[in-house]
Amino acid sequence: MTTPAAKPAPIPADSEPGANRRAPSLTDVCVMIGGQGGDGTLTVSDLLGRYFRKRGLYVYTSRNVLSRIRGGHADASVRGSRDPIAAVKPDVDVLVAFDEQAVEIGRSELAPHGYILYDSTSFKSEVPNATGFPFATLVGGALGQPIFKNTAAYGALSVVFGFDPVGTRAVIEERFKRRGGEALEKNLKALEIGRKAASEVPGLADRYRIADGDAHDFIMTTGNQAVALGFVVGGGRFFAGYPITPATEIMEYLQQYLPPLHGVVRQAEDELAAVNMIIGAAYAGARVMTSTSGPGLSLMTEGIGHAGAAEIPIVVADCARVGPSTGQPTRHEQSDLSHLANLGHGEYPRFILAPGTPEDCFDITIEALNLAERWRLPVLLLLDQALCQNNTTSRRFDLTKASVDRGARLSGEQVAALTQYKAYAFSETGRSAYAPPGTPGVWAEITGNEHDEWGHVSVNPVNRVRMMKKRMEKMVRARDELPAGHLFGPPEAKVGLIGYGSTFGPIREAQAILAARGTATRFFQPRTLYPVPAHELDPFLKSVDVAYVVEHNYTGQFARLIRETVPWHHAKIRSITKYDGSNFRAPQIIAEIPEVA
Amino acid sequence: MVESAKPVPPIWCPGCGDFGVLAAVKKAALEIKIPPHDLVLVGGIGCSGSIHNFLEINGIHALHGRLLAQAVGVKLANPALTVVAAGGDGDGYAIGMGHFIHSFKKNVSIVYIAMNNETYGLTKGQPSPTSQIGFEGNIERPFDAILTALSIPAPNLIARTFSGDPKTMIQVLTEALRFTREGRGYAFIEDLSPCVTYNDTYKLWREKVLDVSKVEGYDPSDRKAMFRICLETMEAGRIPIGVMHRPKETTVEGLETKLLNGAAGPARSDISLEPNRAAYQKLLAALS
Repeated sequence: MTTPAAKPAPIPADSEPGANRRAPSLTDVCVMIGGQGGDGTLTVSDLLGRYFRKRGLYVYTSRNVLSRIRGGHADASVRGSRDPIAAVKPDVDVLVAFDEQAVEIGRSELAPHGYILYDSTSFKSEVPNATGFPFATLVGGALGQPIFKNTAAYGALSVVFGFDPVGTRAVIEERFKRRGGEALEKNLKALEIGRKAASEVPGLADRYRIADGDAHDFIMTTGNQAVALGFVVGGGRFFAGYPITPATEIMEYLQQYLPPLHGVVRQAEDELAAVNMIIGAAYAGARVMTSTSGPGLSLMTEGIGHAGAAEIPIVVADCARVGPSTGQPTRHEQSDLSHLANLGHGEYPRFILAPGTPEDCFDITIEALNLAERWRLPVLLLLDQALCQNNTTSRRFDLTKASVDRGARLSGEQVAALTQYKAYAFSETGRSAYAPPGTPGVWAEITGNEHDEWGHVSVNPVNRVRMMKKRMEKMVRARDELPAGHLFGPPEAKVGLIGYGSTFGPIREAQAILAARGTATRFFQPRTLYPVPAHELDPFLKSVDVAYVVEHNYTGQFARLIRETVPWHHAKIRSITKYDGSNFRAPQIIAEIPEVA
Repeated sequence: MVESAKPVPPIWCPGCGDFGVLAAVKKAALEIKIPPHDLVLVGGIGCSGSIHNFLEINGIHALHGRLLAQAVGVKLANPALTVVAAGGDGDGYAIGMGHFIHSFKKNVSIVYIAMNNETYGLTKGQPSPTSQIGFEGNIERPFDAILTALSIPAPNLIARTFSGDPKTMIQVLTEALRFTREGRGYAFIEDLSPCVTYNDTYKLWREKVLDVSKVEGYDPSDRKAMFRICLETMEAGRIPIGVMHRPKETTVEGLETKLLNGAAGPARSDISLEPNRAAYQKLLAALS
């Protein structure tokens, strides 16, 4: 030890009888790790998350990185809780800082009983409740490479939290076994360096203890991984995309998953090509998807409109980030909804589906593929950065719920029984059957120009009106097939909450906090955003006195759409918005509700 | 016999060069005996892009400039289809330039026919990327698709034809269709197709075209030689036509073959749950 330890601050009294009085047992713990990009903050977060899971805790991680490969402030936080959580903890229990800036940034989120461990190699902090360790120097001296300082920090944390040494070590082995050999060995050594350093500081060991939970049969995953897996299981076999944060991982997962199933994944020259490649493949009869974010979505707008007009089934996942323009590529926002609802020039039908958790991402992606093919139109999955990238505990994905419905697709035998094959035939159901090219004996014209039933270009006004109705009425006819929303909280509650996507987690947590205080709330989580589900919103809004629409944008886009759809409830609808690039913490929602705050 | 979409009469002006391409597509398809349900024609936007409406085959009308991206998607989804993309010079070399350049390096086994008339005919005669200096006030130098194509080292079939020489066009198109049907890769044909209304170049081009196969040193497998022949022909005020690049080896280089390795392709896979259940279970079990 070269840095003198600061005197530990008083610790709040333990809430659990019989526990070590010096060590409060935390049932909900959050560690934030900050430093420069490349300091390995995400690795520490990953290691802690793995350890928390061994203790049966639910885990939610989030990250705050800059759009650059190395350097710049980056932080990650990892939360472990005995209760199911899907949000960032409002305050940080322990902060690990690799530089001075990380101390300053992290301090503002530190709980009153919180503590800071920092790397004192290049600076000394005067803040209270902090101990400096020269992690980089210690590790660099022993191993020749200071980069393992992050694992040493994990070692120090394991002492502070009184982790069991076997489990602590097992996590390192799990994480680095694939890289094996030297990487594993050096990380294990760095772990011991960190553990030894922290053990030598009086009063630091077992400063906190974490409670055990019972969340054992869970996986760790992200929305992006869930969408990729849902696509595969839903029969998706053709994906084209263009790298863009925070959507890229969908393409990367599919590059692993699809080739063994003879599927095709292509990285296109731009988003225009990506969306048009999937249009071509869908026309040929494949189940397809692309994924993108703000700027890429702007480029794809042209192609999505074409799919709407030409009745080509495509799925587009929009992993929303801060906009407009390049905005903040790595940060969180939900400001694409208005754009998606009105996407493109002219008018065409589309469904916008919004899952709230990774498990929901899996289920809804499968449904999106079915809906796209059944109704021959573009289906848009609206995700957001937190949902896409924050690694979290999730129930295992359920294959038994999955189904593949090829809808209007005609088989060879069905075609042979026809007298005529019209790709845009008018029908009772509003859907036209489709035979992809290669079906023996038939062919068709497919076009984004207005067309007649055969696909021939047409300016006939009577035909134009019939075709417009045929397409637009899909949004009415499909109503009962679209994913239904979820309701949470007692039906008699008079304060309503509405939110989609990753706001699911903080809203559920706000409900739990309020319920513990004796205040009941009712939460409607729509899973179909467009067509706006009036049939779900109307009874919900009838049941409450006031409804707060919680969303990450400036103008309250979803609140506006709701007011437009059920204007008779106009007076009950309020907005809670956040657009600073980070996702809601539960208390931030509660603070905006005068009825309960 | 199921009744399918019937061709409609062409919208082109009498004498349009695009009629030559239409006739060549019909003759070549007949010659190779491609059944209409296996032939897909991806049309661009512009006069030339409407060609799929005039044929008894599968047609898809793509967005302006995006026909190559869609054609690539069709072929990669179902490699058993014969895929032809056809559009104009504005479509391919202006709004679609990004996709055009990438089509060579992708090397998917499709035929692309760019009908070059050096103008935007459908919007009434504005200068296009290939317009000569002075045409309708054009002050930018014309783009040359063949030199560009030759500059990308990929085993593509590259040719230029002239609508005033239908015999050669049918021959080249037949070769291109065979080339792609054998999975050998991408075939690009620029057809000089005069716009009789806004840029009637029939007479001029008939005088200027030069069949490069008659030039000394002609060897379409030698990229360097062909580059030199094209440049020298152009410097002499002539327009080189003929097969400009033909890979020496008859290897199957098409991207769809590399990706799918004999599998039926995404459009023809059995995607129902039962046959895939074990594979899916394995993927999901890997999550921890």
